[in-house]
Amino acid sequence: MKMKRILVGLAALVLVFGMAFAAGAEQGVTDTEIHIGQWGPQTGPAAPWGSVARGTDAYFKMINAQGGIHGRKLIHHMFDDGYNPAKTKAGVKELQEGIGMFAWVSGVGTAPGLSVMDYLMERKIPWVGPSAGSLHWIEPPQKYLFAVYPLYYIEAKGLCRYAVEKLGKKRIAIAYQNDDYGKNGLKGAVEALEKMGLKLVAQIPVEKSDTDMKPHVMKLKKAKADAVLLWVTPTHAIRIVGTSKAMKFAPQWMSTSTCSDFPFMYKISKGLWEGVIAATFGELPDSDNPLLQKYKKDAYGKYAAKGERWGLFYYAGILFAEPLVEGIKRCGKNLTRERLVKEMEGIKNFKGIGGKISYGPLDLAEPYACRQGQKEVFLVKCLKGGKYEKLTGWMEIK
Amino acid sequence: MLEFIQTITSGIAVGSSYALMGLAMVLVYKTSEVVNFAQGEMALVVSFFTYMVLENYGFPFYVAFPSALVFAAFLGFFLEFAVLRRAKEPNILGMIIITIGLEMILMGFVSWKFGADPKTMPFPMSPYDSVEIGGVFMSSLEVLTFVVALSVMAILFLFLKYSKLGVAMKATQQNNMAARLMGIRTNRILMVTWGISSVVGGLAGLLISPTTMQPYMMWDPMLKGFAGAVMGGMTSLPGSVFGAYLIGIIENLFGLYVSIEFKSVVAFTIIVLVLCVRPSGLFARHYVKKV
Repeated sequence: MKMKRILVGLAALVLVFGMAFAAGAEQGVTDTEIHIGQWGPQTGPAAPWGSVARGTDAYFKMINAQGGIHGRKLIHHMFDDGYNPAKTKAGVKELQEGIGMFAWVSGVGTAPGLSVMDYLMERKIPWVGPSAGSLHWIEPPQKYLFAVYPLYYIEAKGLCRYAVEKLGKKRIAIAYQNDDYGKNGLKGAVEALEKMGLKLVAQIPVEKSDTDMKPHVMKLKKAKADAVLLWVTPTHAIRIVGTSKAMKFAPQWMSTSTCSDFPFMYKISKGLWEGVIAATFGELPDSDNPLLQKYKKDAYGKYAAKGERWGLFYYAGILFAEPLVEGIKRCGKNLTRERLVKEMEGIKNFKGIGGKISYGPLDLAEPYACRQGQKEVFLVKCLKGGKYEKLTGWMEIK
Repeated sequence: MLEFIQTITSGIAVGSSYALMGLAMVLVYKTSEVVNFAQGEMALVVSFFTYMVLENYGFPFYVAFPSALVFAAFLGFFLEFAVLRRAKEPNILGMIIITIGLEMILMGFVSWKFGADPKTMPFPMSPYDSVEIGGVFMSSLEVLTFVVALSVMAILFLFLKYSKLGVAMKATQQNNMAARLMGIRTNRILMVTWGISSVVGGLAGLLISPTTMQPYMMWDPMLKGFAGAVMGGMTSLPGSVFGAYLIGIIENLFGLYVSIEFKSVVAFTIIVLVLCVRPSGLFARHYVKKV
């Protein structure tokens, strides 16, 4: 009996000390290191977006070379999920339960992100800057999830307004990928046009496996569209524009930020991308923005692998991670997840290499204000040789 | 009416690349009864080889394209000789599984070697120029593909019917043992068949690449080509070509008039229907093997 009491007492002691220890040290943080996880497709059909994770990696290396944040180095753990949600989930669990990440950053794709969102949120693990402009990140808003990428939905709104108000287009159509990404664009277009008393003249779903775009183009042509929004993958976008050219159908093409890497799009489309208008969320690659130039020199210049291109998606990996780094900096030496959330919520009009970023205290009624960091985009037009022409300044779309 | 004709034309245009893939698969099937699921990826390797020769080494077209076809033939020889022939106590199912394995290996190789960024192959003809007859459009590349598909079909048809090698190929399929007893080196015949089919598939790959190239580009044409070939009866060359065009046309009509979302699926629905009604396809005579 006595023995039992002693054992119970011991167990209680261990528990109390154990908890005190757990409260003292945050998972993934030591005196010298902060562990941060990220996934990104390096193989498979979405591999062109894999440069996002490589950009973040170079950015962290640059920060470490400059002494880290309050004496701690950022340890970046990235893995290839091949844009396959099942692999994303397995990889995230492995890193989280094996090494233990303090937070997650970026992570390409709506579907891969959705597959781990609940897992991370239930465990109260911060996740900053999912690299997809989906409404899912903020509807409903989550305490530990901070979106950066401007919504595809507002990009579509901005493009529609520009087409109608500045270009005088009346018959707007959309070809959209038949999934969440495409439907977010569709929703924005429908709403923006409704406000101006217009309707889409055609809405054409594109399946990811489709390679023949003629029926799609026939429908667009039949609808006599004078401006067409392309909410599809870069390859599909090029096929649609190419097929249209062969069929002598030439509306004003408009596209999302996913197809706004003009030098790349111009090259693989053999020049067809000239004249396309796109929304974009980051400074242009040849911009003289000093911060962008610094990243180009110190992150890309020193840590990029041979053959890596200084393109939009590469430095988007930096753009999505900037608010996290800012939040960690603001925490000072005492870094915990709760503190990070609090500091992130205090970020107002933060300017990195994208548009202005602001968050606010969690408010279920105002998801857009409290968890959608960047609300600004601007429009660009592709010129000969894949050069950019800025059509608008940064604009905030409500 | 114009729209209807345009849709049919578009169907024919896209059907040509299916037809080439179908022809390639039928060739292998005719001699060994193996369905070669690696056909698309063999064409993929050929296309990327050509891309490399043109872009990285800067050879002119008249060197790159013929050498691509020679490469294709050797690739076919090699895969048959080094992989399929090594299978122990092969049965047809086992061989088909091997081709699926090859498919994955080849695709993995291309993704690894060339990366998954979309690329585009330099080509003497722009894939975005078109020919117009009475308001109906077809891109010039599609016209070329159409001509190539029909010529290849005709050449293969004549080759199998009249040439000694062609007859030997047929004999090998119908009765391997008897063919061997008649002095046909059946192993060599199989190897040559793989070579020829690789060249035919490679042509399809080269004609698809000028638009966009990426490691996944051949999967869809291969499946549709296979579907067309099944419809045509798997052993008939004109049958497989006809089947491929039919699939292209039905897909386009269905996409325009019924539902664009289910356009890609419709091809496979038709196959199920055809196989229910005429299990040996629309063109082949039902061939019963005597035991």
